Amino acid sequence: MVMAAKQTDGHHPTVGRYLDQEKVRKALDAARSYGASYAEVRVVALTESTVAMRDGILEKAIPGQELGMTLRILADGAWGVHSTTDLASLSDQIESTTRLAKAVAKRRAASERPKALAEVPIIQDETHWRSKLDVRHTELDQKMELMNDIYRGASGHDDIVSVRTGWSDEHIHTELMTTEGMDRVWSFQRSLIHGMVTARREGEVVSYRTRHGGQGGLEVIQEADLVQLGEEAQRAALRLLNAERAPSGKLPLIADKDLTGVYIHEALGHPCEADLVAAGDSCLDGKLGQKIGNELVTVVDDPTMMGGYGAYPVDDEGVNTREKVLIKNGVLTEYLNHRETAHHFGVEPNGGARAQDGLHHPLVRMSNTMIHGGTHADIDELMEDVQYGVYACGTRGGQVDTGRGSFQFAAQEAWLIENGELTRPLKDVSVSGLTLEILKNVDGLTRDASLASPGFCGKGQTVPVGDGGPVMRISEALVG
Amino acid sequence: MLPEGAEDRLLANANVIADACKGSGVQQWDLIGFQSYGHQLDIEAGKITMAAGGGEGGFGVRVVDEGRFGFAHLVDVSGAQRAVEQAVAIAKKSPSIEGFVLPSEQPAEQVSGRMDRAVLDLSPEDLLEQADGLLSEVKSLDERAVVTGGGVGVSATAGCLMNSEGILSTGMTTSHGIGLQVSLEVDGELTSSYQGQSSRSLLPEMPACVARAVHWAQVTQNPLRVESEAVDTPVLMTSEGFSPLFSMVVPSAMTGEKMVRKESFWADKMGQQVLNPNLSVHDNGLLEGGMSSGSRDGEGVPRRRQNLIENGRLNGMLWSTRDAAQQVAEGRIEAAHSTGSASSGGHQSPPSTGCTELFLTSSEQGKSMDDLLKHMGDGYLVNSVMGAHTANPSSGDFSVTTSSILKVEGGEIVGSLKQAGFSGNLAKALNGAVVLGADVRRQGSYSSGSMHLPDVLMMDGLRINPA
Repeated sequence: MVMAAKQTDGHHPTVGRYLDQEKVRKALDAARSYGASYAEVRVVALTESTVAMRDGILEKAIPGQELGMTLRILADGAWGVHSTTDLASLSDQIESTTRLAKAVAKRRAASERPKALAEVPIIQDETHWRSKLDVRHTELDQKMELMNDIYRGASGHDDIVSVRTGWSDEHIHTELMTTEGMDRVWSFQRSLIHGMVTARREGEVVSYRTRHGGQGGLEVIQEADLVQLGEEAQRAALRLLNAERAPSGKLPLIADKDLTGVYIHEALGHPCEADLVAAGDSCLDGKLGQKIGNELVTVVDDPTMMGGYGAYPVDDEGVNTREKVLIKNGVLTEYLNHRETAHHFGVEPNGGARAQDGLHHPLVRMSNTMIHGGTHADIDELMEDVQYGVYACGTRGGQVDTGRGSFQFAAQEAWLIENGELTRPLKDVSVSGLTLEILKNVDGLTRDASLASPGFCGKGQTVPVGDGGPVMRISEALVG
Repeated sequence: MLPEGAEDRLLANANVIADACKGSGVQQWDLIGFQSYGHQLDIEAGKITMAAGGGEGGFGVRVVDEGRFGFAHLVDVSGAQRAVEQAVAIAKKSPSIEGFVLPSEQPAEQVSGRMDRAVLDLSPEDLLEQADGLLSEVKSLDERAVVTGGGVGVSATAGCLMNSEGILSTGMTTSHGIGLQVSLEVDGELTSSYQGQSSRSLLPEMPACVARAVHWAQVTQNPLRVESEAVDTPVLMTSEGFSPLFSMVVPSAMTGEKMVRKESFWADKMGQQVLNPNLSVHDNGLLEGGMSSGSRDGEGVPRRRQNLIENGRLNGMLWSTRDAAQQVAEGRIEAAHSTGSASSGGHQSPPSTGCTELFLTSSEQGKSMDDLLKHMGDGYLVNSVMGAHTANPSSGDFSVTTSSILKVEGGEIVGSLKQAGFSGNLAKALNGAVVLGADVRRQGSYSSGSMHLPDVLMMDGLRINPA
């Protein structure tokens, strides 16, 4: 991966730009003349490709070009937004969008604070995270060959009824111009390969999903042993055919890196999103500086973690990215912020603004979220003290009610732990709990921590994320 | 809301792509296009925080040559030639499906109620007034309640579908939607409820979802102190709570492809009883005013009403043209034809198979909520679940969490639980003793289509695990 950042003096050639800078500057000036205190134009051009195969045969391959632009105007302390695929219509939307913002502002009660943005460095530059192997140049045949590696590993057993494989890549090019003089261009790529193995025996149907990917081009996929991924998925699917339904109740839980990542994403990451905190919809409201977890627990969110599926060079408000330490030794230290929430809480923005694409406005979002490693050597050491519990692996997703602080996540497969040993395989294991209780129940972490499988996060808009950590033990969780 | 001539421009742009297809020499092609415009208000922390508007659109083009297909999508039709070339190149690498040809023109019924001028005429200022009204209504229902999330939106969409075989379908749809997350914090105990409603026509000034959101935030306050012990128990689910699980598990189980590939828990059960004998499931692609109904499906085949499960017996499957041809060609089924069930999720992907307006009905008289509670006796009433998307569509197994759950004893609600695990197998539960409520409400879906569901009481095979 090569990161090429080029500071310029604000003058860019129009070649390679989707925005006509002169026209955009005029439009932004017009917004000011209509009474906007701030306006921005962000355009995102996506070059993307998805491929789906089943049992080694191509089902569909979809190349696509998408272009979207969002105009965001802050006037009288309220937002007006206009999103469109018609870039040429920008100047026609300035007055009406400013008027909309003012109409919202009129409804604000005298006791309410007008919205404003925290100040940030005004930068004119181009930042391009260049992939070693630009994924836009990867031929369909090569993608199919790599997908077939998963298929070869996963097939070849009478109980495997289908192996679906998928591919997804995107080149994201973003341009942002603001009334403050920000003029930034950045680009990067993401690549993902995945498989779904379905097994059936005597009417019992189970499936197991495997994924590999990250920020970058073809090299991200090539670094994985895809045949082995397929073989592991096959073994897991066959194990699930023999798995029992999980016991229900409050039990000790050991989570693998995948599940630890989803846990920290759902249970802590979402309640740390400052737009939810400001809206009164987070159980972590007012808890900055307080001890909310076991001192073993340190959690970071870091979009600069190169290779992570949630990595990005610049946030969607043009703010430089950095690592955020959300919890340090059990103490809540920082929320994820964009410029509006940073102003609300009187802190510096920390590069947490992300939009799904050019047709959506930025929200506060996670990137690569990880819990740091602890002191245990390995999973065996974590299991030693567990008389009766569950070891859960892989993720089928999760969900959180940030206001109540209750969350749920589901494992792909699991084992019963009896007297410190893994005994019987389990299926359909889900774990739920309350953020402020469970963080205190984390009582063991292995030393090695890393990002696990790539994922997606929905919050009205879908964005790619990376999650991970070490293998984690929770002394008591609601397992079902 | 919709700019003058939007439909004409959409069609003109579609014809640019059609010309590129014709010029490519490909045997068959079809394309879909849409252009939508809308306004939306976001509500947070009890106030309107953002007004947004805009328009978006795009085209998806599919080419078919000797049973091989390729697809590409684009926004700017100046790239039509390139997109068609890409689709043709992909078709050449795709396997040939014997018998796969695009459908030809057939008469299709018109479906009314898909567009409402009153929605088109709504201005952003009208929406602001409606949002003001919603916020006032919530406060009037409970002074302590705060709308912590959600919003109001309207949209109008011009769509077109055309193919090389003479199908040309254009039309306009409108939609009006409201969603509210209502939170209630009393003595540090926060409860909340999300409820939403949408329609092709103008919603009533004060939709029923507003009162429901406040009600569920209220009734889940003051949770009971209970022992954490899992119990097998009857569960009564409101339509809102049942829909995410039902839509995750049932529609995909009824697609022909999953049936014949034996990836559905109902595979090999055609003609057999799969649900309680009082239950039926039908898909009505011609539903007046439906959010997913219409004259034609995503491939241009006329939509229809089809009974999928009658009196508990499985007697139908959902097919698109391509899926049907592929499964016949690969020998998994002797004959299969499109049931007008190709759904197009947008311009970025080719049509897939799915339901449109799926109804769960009973041959017995639907019961009121009070009667359902009495019938249940002891059990739980669940209004929403977390993690429905983690349910297993291959098996019907699910294990989710709820913070919107009431304990019922002797047919009376005795209080709420703070949190509980909820697990079981939905297919098996629906094959046990099931009683449906009388009030059918349209719900959104994790899969394609809309779910028309009453409150559902399931007596068997479910487990509640209070936290």
